[in-house]
Formats: sequence, C-alpha cells, structure tokens
Amino acid sequence: MAGTAWSDRLRNLTGRRAGTTPVADPLVADLQQALSADRVHDSGVHRALMKKDASVFTGGVSGPLCYPETTEEVQAIMRIAERHDRAVVPRGAGTGLAGGAIPLGAPIVIAATRMNRIVDVDLDDRVAWVEPGVVNLDLTRHLQPLGFHFAPDPSSQQVCTIGGNVANNSGGPHCLAYGVTNAHVVALEVVLPSGEALMLGGLDAEPLGYDLRGAFVGSEGTLGFTTKVAVTITPNAPAVRTLLLSFDTIRDAANTVGAIIADGIVPAALEVMDQRITEAVENYVGAGYPTDAGAVLLAEVDGLADGIAIDADRIGEIGRAHGAIDVRQAATEEERALLWKGRKTAFGAIAQIAPDYYLHDTVVPRAKLADVLDEVYAIAERHDVLVMNVFHAGDGNLHPLLVFDARIEGKLDAVHAAGSEILAASVAAGGVLSGEHGIGVEKQAYMDQMFTDDDMDHQGRLRRAFDPVCRANPGKVLPMGHSCADIAALRSVPSEVWG
Amino acid sequence: MDLHLDAEDLNSCVQCGLCLPACPTFRVTGDESMSPRGRIQLMREVQDGDAPLTDEVLRSFETCVQCRACEPACPSSVPYGHLMERTRETLADGGHITPGWQRVAFKPLAHPQLLQIGSAALSVAQRAGLVPKRLGLSAEIPFRQEPLTASGTDVYLFTGCVMDAWQREVHAAGQRVLEAAGFGVTPTAELAPCCGALQAHAGLADDTRGLAATMMANLAPDRPILVDSAGCGAAMKDYGHLLGTAEAEAFSARVFDIQEWLADHLDKLPQARPLDLRVAVQDPCHLRHVQRVHGATRAVLAPFVRELVELDDDGMCCGAGGAYSVLEPELAGAIRDRKLGAIDRATPDLVASANPGCSMHLGAADVETAHPMELVDRALRQV
Ligand SMILES: Cc1cc2nc3c(=O)[nH]c(=O)nc-3n(C[C@H](O)[C@H](O)[C@H](O)COP(=O)(O)OP(=O)(O)OC[C@H]3O[C@@H](n4cnc5c(N)ncnc54)[C@H](O)[C@@H]3O)c2cc1C
Ligand code: SF4
Ligand code: SF4
Repeated sequence: MAGTAWSDRLRNLTGRRAGTTPVADPLVADLQQALSADRVHDSGVHRALMKKDASVFTGGVSGPLCYPETTEEVQAIMRIAERHDRAVVPRGAGTGLAGGAIPLGAPIVIAATRMNRIVDVDLDDRVAWVEPGVVNLDLTRHLQPLGFHFAPDPSSQQVCTIGGNVANNSGGPHCLAYGVTNAHVVALEVVLPSGEALMLGGLDAEPLGYDLRGAFVGSEGTLGFTTKVAVTITPNAPAVRTLLLSFDTIRDAANTVGAIIADGIVPAALEVMDQRITEAVENYVGAGYPTDAGAVLLAEVDGLADGIAIDADRIGEIGRAHGAIDVRQAATEEERALLWKGRKTAFGAIAQIAPDYYLHDTVVPRAKLADVLDEVYAIAERHDVLVMNVFHAGDGNLHPLLVFDARIEGKLDAVHAAGSEILAASVAAGGVLSGEHGIGVEKQAYMDQMFTDDDMDHQGRLRRAFDPVCRANPGKVLPMGHSCADIAALRSVPSEVWG
Repeated sequence: MDLHLDAEDLNSCVQCGLCLPACPTFRVTGDESMSPRGRIQLMREVQDGDAPLTDEVLRSFETCVQCRACEPACPSSVPYGHLMERTRETLADGGHITPGWQRVAFKPLAHPQLLQIGSAALSVAQRAGLVPKRLGLSAEIPFRQEPLTASGTDVYLFTGCVMDAWQREVHAAGQRVLEAAGFGVTPTAELAPCCGALQAHAGLADDTRGLAATMMANLAPDRPILVDSAGCGAAMKDYGHLLGTAEAEAFSARVFDIQEWLADHLDKLPQARPLDLRVAVQDPCHLRHVQRVHGATRAVLAPFVRELVELDDDGMCCGAGGAYSVLEPELAGAIRDRKLGAIDRATPDLVASANPGCSMHLGAADVETAHPMELVDRALRQV
C-alpha cells in the first residue's frame, strides 16, 4: 500500500542534484528510460555503497543501481542487461554474511527495497503473497494481530528481506522446530535473465512436475530475480516458555543440547552462546545474562500450556544432570523479549571487541558438537585469532565468529587460515560447509572440500538451464571453473568509479 | 578530506545493517545512501578513501534528520550522532553545507527581542494568509504573550528561543505543574536565550559553544535545570561532550527533562480526576533515542488521563527534525505520512508530544497534539 502512495511524491528526492550531470552511458540511459531517472543511479556514491554487504568481502565493484517497483520493470532491466551484455546482481537489505549480494565486475545491481508490499494474506489457505523487499519482521508484525507469524526468524529479521531469505534459504533460532525458509515457501514468481517471468511451484499441496521452486530457493540470486513470494503463515503458539541455563563450560552446554533432543523433546529453539559473546551482548541489552558463566543455553518450548510446562521442567533436569550451574525461566514477556534481543543482536554487538568479523556457518552432527567446538578453540589459538561461538545448537549449526582488526597486518590471512581449518574440521566430523548463510563468494573456495568435480558440474548445468550465459550474479556459489566458461558479462573496473 | 572524525568511532560500525529499519529516511526511500550504514560508509569513503565531496555525498549527509534512532538500534554502540554533528561541522566550516541564508536565519534564535519582533511579524503574516503551508506552522503564532514570573529558586525552567516565542503556554503549564508538586520555579528567560541545538545540527557548533558558555555563566550553580523541549534537553545534556570541560560535564549533569524530573517525584504531585481522553504518546526522537527517558512521559501522564496508547512504529521519527521539515519538506512529509498511519491505527483522541517541533509538524497535518505538561496541568486544574 505504502509503496505506491509515496512513489510519486518521492520522485526526485534521492537524486535531486544529480540532474546536473549528463548521462553519458547508453546502458544507464536505457535503464532510466525503462524505470525513471530517479530510480536508476550511476553516481560514485551509489555504486560505492553497493560494493559491500555484511560480510568481510571487499572486492566488489558495482555498475548502475536500479530500484524497480514492478515485475515488468525487472523484466525490462533483464532485457536491457542482455542487450548490453552486462551481468545483474539481485540485492535485498545487504545483510548477507557470505558476500552473495556483492557485485563482481560492475554488474547492474537490482535492489528489491522498493518492492515492499504485502500483497495479500489468505487466512483460510494460510498463505501470504509478498513482494521480495518486504522485511521479514514487518511481515510477522503484520500477521501478529491476526494470530499468525512467518516462522523463519533469522537474527537479522528486523532488516533482512523475504527475497534475501528465499535466496539464501535462511534459517533462524526457531527453525529447529519449524524448518528453514524452504519449508515455508509454496510459490515464487521469478524473472529469468532472459526477461521471461515464470511462476514456480503453486498453492496445490503436490504440484505436478519437477520442484523448480525448490531449485530456486537457496540459489543465491544465480538463477534470476524473485519478484513475488507465496509463503505459508504459521499460527502463533498458545503458550511459550523460555529458559536460560548457565554452564561452566561450553562442552556441558553442547552435551545438554544433545541430551535434550535424545530425550524426545522438540524445543522451538536451542541456542548456545559462549562467555565472550554473552558479555558483549549483555553490555548492549542488559537482559540479565550471566557474564561469569562459561556458556549459556537459551531454550524455548512452545505449544499447549500443560505440555510445555512438563517439557520445560524436563529441560531443566537434563541441564542440571549435565552440569548446569543455574536454570532460570523468563517470568514475563518483557524478560523473554530482552533475552531474545540479546541473542539476535550478537553478531552486531561484537564491534565492542574488534571492528571486523568473519563468520563461519558449518553444520556438524549434534553428537560431535562438543568435540568440534574444542577443536575450533584450539585452531583459533594456534593462529592467534579471537574466536567466539554463538550458534543454533539444536541443529548442530555452528557459527564460529573470528573477531579481528583488519588494519593489523597479516591478521586477515591468519583469519582465513584458521577459517579454512575450522571448515575442514567440521567436514571431517561429517558436517557441511554452510547451514544457512549461503556460499556467496566467501565460502566458494571451500566447495571442493564438500563436492566432487562431478557434483559441481551437475550443479553448473542446473544453473545454466535457467541462465545459459551466467548473467545472474556471476562469480558466486560455484567456483569459476564449474560455473560458466565464458563470463563475458563481467566487466573490468570502470575507469572513473567516482563518476 | 579529513572530516575530523575519530578513527575508532568510525571503525566501530561493522556494517551489519541492524540500524536500517529504525532510520526514517531509509524507510521511505529504500535507498542505502539515505541509511545510517550508508552515511557512515560515505564518511569513511571521504575521510579514509579521499572520495570527492560530490553533490550526492552532501545530499546523503544533508538528508539525515539527525533523529538518532539508529543509535539505540545499534548493538555496537556506534556514536552516530556525534559522527554526523562533527561531519556537518567540518563541512559547514569549509562552506560546503549550511549556506549563508541559513546561518542568518539562525541568528535571531540567540536574541530574544529580535525573535519576538520576528514572531510578531510572522503572526501578522500568518493571519493574513501569507505564510506558506510547507513551513509547517500549524497553530497560530501568538502576537503578544504574558511573561512568566519566578515563583522560587528550587529549579530552573529552561524557556529557550522559538518555543518561548511561540508556545509559552507550554512553559506556563509546566511551571504550574512543578509548583503544584511544591517546587519554586525560576524561568530562565534571557539568562539562557537559546540552547544551540539547531545550530549544532546545521554544523555551526561554535555558535552552540558560545550559547552554552553564556548559559553556564548566567545560571546559578547546583540548581537543577528542567527542560520541557526534548531537543533542547538533549543538546544541553551534551554540553559536556561539546565543550569537553569538567564544568560543562557538571552543568549537563544538572539538566533534566521535565517529565524525567517529575517521574522521580511522582509522590509529590497531587491527585486529580483523570481527563476523559484516550491519549497516544508520540515520543520526540531526542527524548527517546538520545535522552532515553521516554518511560518518564508515560509514568507522569498515566495517572492523569483515562487511557494511554502506544504507537506501533517503535518511536520512528515524525519528520519534524528541528529545521528539517522546512529544509527537506518532501522527505519530511513522506516520513510524517508513516507517523500519521501509526496514529490512525492507535485511534487516539489526542496525541501527546513533548517537543514543540513535532507538535507543529503534526499539527500542520491536522493532528491534535498537546504537551504532556499541558495535559497534567489541565487535569490538575480540571479546565
Ligand atoms: C546480525 C546478522 C544476523 C544474521 N542472522 C542470521 C540467521 O540467524 N540466520 C540466517 O540464515 N542468516 C542470518 N544472517 C544473514 C542474512 O541476514 C540472511 O542471509 C538474509 O536472508 C539476507 O537477506 P538480505 O535481504 O539482507 O539479502 P542480501 O544480503 O541483500 O542478499 C543475499 C543474497 O540473496 C540474493 N537476493 C536478494 N534478493 C533477491 C531477490 N529478490 N531475488 C533473487 N535473489 C535475491 C542476493 O543476490 C544475495 O545472493 C544474519 C546477518 C546479520 C548481519
Ligand atoms: S551503525 Fe551499528 S547497527 Fe548500523 S550497520 Fe553499523 S554496526 Fe550495524
Ligand atoms: S539520525 Fe535518523 S535519519 Fe539520520 S541516519 Fe540515523 S536514523 Fe537515519
């Protein structure tokens, strides 16, 4: 609703003075013709701001930036890109942690932030149709008064977009019981690099044919641009209990997690934070996290009040049997919200400690959690980098966070070396490279630790079925040799980056 | 170009983006260059990367409302407000922003007589229909007002510049409420002509430092200074940082928002029959995001009205932003539209706002507003 009403009034706001610079580039002229002058930017400022997301990767170079508002406009952009033989990169809120939205070789950046309408909510079918730029938490807020929410809740949910969630198949603390984004997407309207718009999947329980929707979810913008998403909406649980367990060691916390699942309880969330990160978080939220404990476990159960009361007690017992030094239940909704605010701002809070972070995202079998964690700390110590751990313990999804100051010479190399060993250790324990943040550019070099050449070749073919010349987000996910032999669409750095 | 920003402050942003949804200009444009993360990145590009000061760079800085909602949203405690004030100061010093006409326009603020004459003229012009609506002046500007008189020396009531000229009845209400709670009040009047907040936002920090020095010299030490305009209170609480002296620190520690002060002395306020109103609280940014004492507004107001309701926009800016609504009318209007939506959903009889700029900006869109002190005063006097 909001989008249309303002779009007219907002004309000329962003580029009011830009009119003084004549547009020389025919590509930009075509894009402006197709959209409008104020929704296509080619200035140094706009390009500079597109070259990063929330990852540490810094090698981005952006071409013109477009803010389409309709599917037709996205189609037009794709056709212009084809005509000018230029790559495109979809972008949501730029909170990706693997560099997925970083432009390589001056592509056209297609930002989804102005396609932010909640188009329709169907309570009977329990489906909401949304545009890709809708912010995850805005959707949940919209649904709350109706008794529903959108289940995937990445810690970045206050800012990340549904389109970004779909592209990265993002997870969140509450995906333990409810499943990650893929489980909540029923249909997608997408625009392929050819400019063709397609509907993938559908509202039927068992759509006919191959599950192309499933191929698109998690494709990190390499198959095309999502213009509309049909998501399932989840009824709010009648009751919730949140527990905070403190431990002397992270081993005890990890073992408790395994024991809870082994006991047959399916908590809504099981999150572990080590001491360093707990301290940083407590500094920001003041939620009453114990800063002297070696690790804390945040456990949540939801469902019918009687059942979860039993589960909550049982989690407390299991915790104590595994060395919990304190077990506390959030008494009020405010207390619960504050505990979650702490957990969800953990990555952001680390700048209190050092200005840069490199976040890994491996998944290991739950039974191996404690051992892999030991190894992670040992590896970091060997390379003299600080590591913190905050993770979705219930899924075995580790988030070793290497914290450093990139201005110190040699630090970044040490961080990469430590990271590589951490990944190797996770894979050796039977785990995988990425739980939820995607491969992007950051984890690409590690793909061969997981996949054989043959595996990657097949993935490359799937990709080319949607995008024969690799125009969409080139240089991501698949290592170069396996994606497209000929990435003609990648440009060298424009001569005048600050045009 | 050196913006004179502290390298550590600038580096404390990890580009996580968690502040984006709190930013009004990003919310209405979806444009990274209008977001806190984008603006910080541009400060880096200019200071560390020697990027040229193009029109777009200046535009990005000038469109910031300086509401500072990005600060509480930031888990890494990036001192955005200070970064932006310092950036503007450097740019204004270099003549890149805040053109001469703006500097001239700020001058009368520090001179009460000039302001009174100007206001009288504006009042006449307004009545004659000569004031463009985009200036956002809703309520009629009074032509002449009754002066406030001191009733004791327990506390100062800061009266300031524009507000004293245009909304003196708010000060009068605040004074009566304080007196009802047993405090003898000295209105600061010409002892403290202006807090310098608008000047600091425009990058004219030296003007602000001068005004701060005057105020500190004129006001008796050790007496609490109560402020009923959120923007002024925030500026005065920042004198310690701005001047960097122990004396200024001590002065700032004596500054309280009037609601903050009363919330600490609730037991002293007489009881009264609550007004039969459903009141929505609109938190001025500098009360909520900078002073962070917006809880006090609720504590003080609750006993005196039938019902208090919250807006569902997490305290997002209304777009007033001091002089912002005049300098950036379109953006300010788009931001206000969001606020109007939130107000509509809350279905209040009236909106309580503790900042004159917000009241005027909302008033220009036909929202009925009152200062919390006016409501308490009304309940106490039952008029
Ligand atoms: C503090 C913090 C906490 C986080 N916590 C979590 C977490 O708990 N779980 C988790 O899974 N992730 C987490 N993340 C990572 C990130 O927020 C998610 O990956 C998120 O889904 C990215 O959304 P975005 O809108 O920012 O996308 P962007 O970063 O802008 O883009 C991400 C990828 O999606 C593609 N893309 C974006 N929009 C479209 C579209 N419309 N069509 C096609 N492709 C598109 C881009 O090309 C890119 O490859 C966190 C990040 C931060 C900074
Ligand atoms: S200002 Fe804070 S919240 Fe915003 S991007 Fe920087 S670190 Fe993140
Ligand atoms: S001060 Fe307000 S307008 Fe400026 S960047 Fe922060 S949130 Fe946005």
